[in-house]
Amino acid sequence: MAKGGEDKKEVEKRNKDLFISAFKTTVPVLLGYIPLGMAFGFLLAGAGYHWIYAFLMSLFVYAGSGQLLAVALLAAGAGLTEFAIATLLLNFRHAFYGLSLLENFSGVGRVKPYLIFALTDETYALPITTDIPQGSSKSLFYFYIAALDHFYWITGSVLGAVLGSVLKLNLEGMSFVLTALFVVLTIEQYFNSKTYFPFLVALSAGALSLVLFSPDNMLLASIVLGTLILIGREYLVQKKQSM
Amino acid sequence: MLNTLQMLITIVVIALATFTTRALPFICFGSRQPPAILSVIEKNLPPMILLLLVIYCLKDVQWFSAPYGIPELFTTGIVAGLHFWKRNAMLSIFTGTALYMILVQLNVFSFI
Repeated sequence: MAKGGEDKKEVEKRNKDLFISAFKTTVPVLLGYIPLGMAFGFLLAGAGYHWIYAFLMSLFVYAGSGQLLAVALLAAGAGLTEFAIATLLLNFRHAFYGLSLLENFSGVGRVKPYLIFALTDETYALPITTDIPQGSSKSLFYFYIAALDHFYWITGSVLGAVLGSVLKLNLEGMSFVLTALFVVLTIEQYFNSKTYFPFLVALSAGALSLVLFSPDNMLLASIVLGTLILIGREYLVQKKQSM
Repeated sequence: MLNTLQMLITIVVIALATFTTRALPFICFGSRQPPAILSVIEKNLPPMILLLLVIYCLKDVQWFSAPYGIPELFTTGIVAGLHFWKRNAMLSIFTGTALYMILVQLNVFSFI
């Protein structure tokens, strides 16, 4: 976003600084996506598929749990309709991410389609919790975060597909980095908002869904349940005020 | 096993299904104003979803057999405590991850 008369070198330097700060933000995702992507690539290669498919899937689908589900469906010999329905159901939680980003994404310009495409759990969590460095472009910062995360994911899955069977790295437990990332981001949200209610809703909806639904379905179920509680409570508050 | 064409079609289908879920709210509310109730809950959705993602990450823990989720709960507690104390994201995340890797790889809680 160069302004007239501004030195080109200065813009370049500012963009480079922004890239570095986006990189620092995404380091936990790097450490999480490499082992997770490797697990996916390893499984797909184990099912007998060339690594190029791991690459293509990670490039065009870019959904961690969705791609692991795809491997399971491939192994089960599922039909196209099953692929479509299972993917829609598993990833439907992402629709709720977009709902909370409508305003935030309204001014990001031509990178918007890519930002929407790249809306994984982690790429949703980082922009909503990270402050944009002062005086820099929001769209460029978000784009760097999304593209870096995407790049880590592709790299991990290709590495897993190519080296999975050769390499004997003990990465057990490394994917805990994503759990830790979400814990930290949740606490940051608490520091920023100082409200307890969304957390209480999450705890109750989460616990209930763990009991009632299978581990694969609990996230979508709990997000739907929690959103209904949030709406219901808002409705009650408004009704009280109008009385 | 699928042949090349079948595999490519399958990837296109999964990609479109995934993109649809992500684009849906932007398509629905791209041109018209979202309902008022939505803008009110908009600020409450992110904290709720983030905590649900934490719970989701712990969904495969076996709570009723040894080691009863103790490595996960212990490490999550350390991460949270460290973050409330120092509020340094990298410190909390990497201390927690390293600790967890040591706990599970050396099977520290095997005595339980």
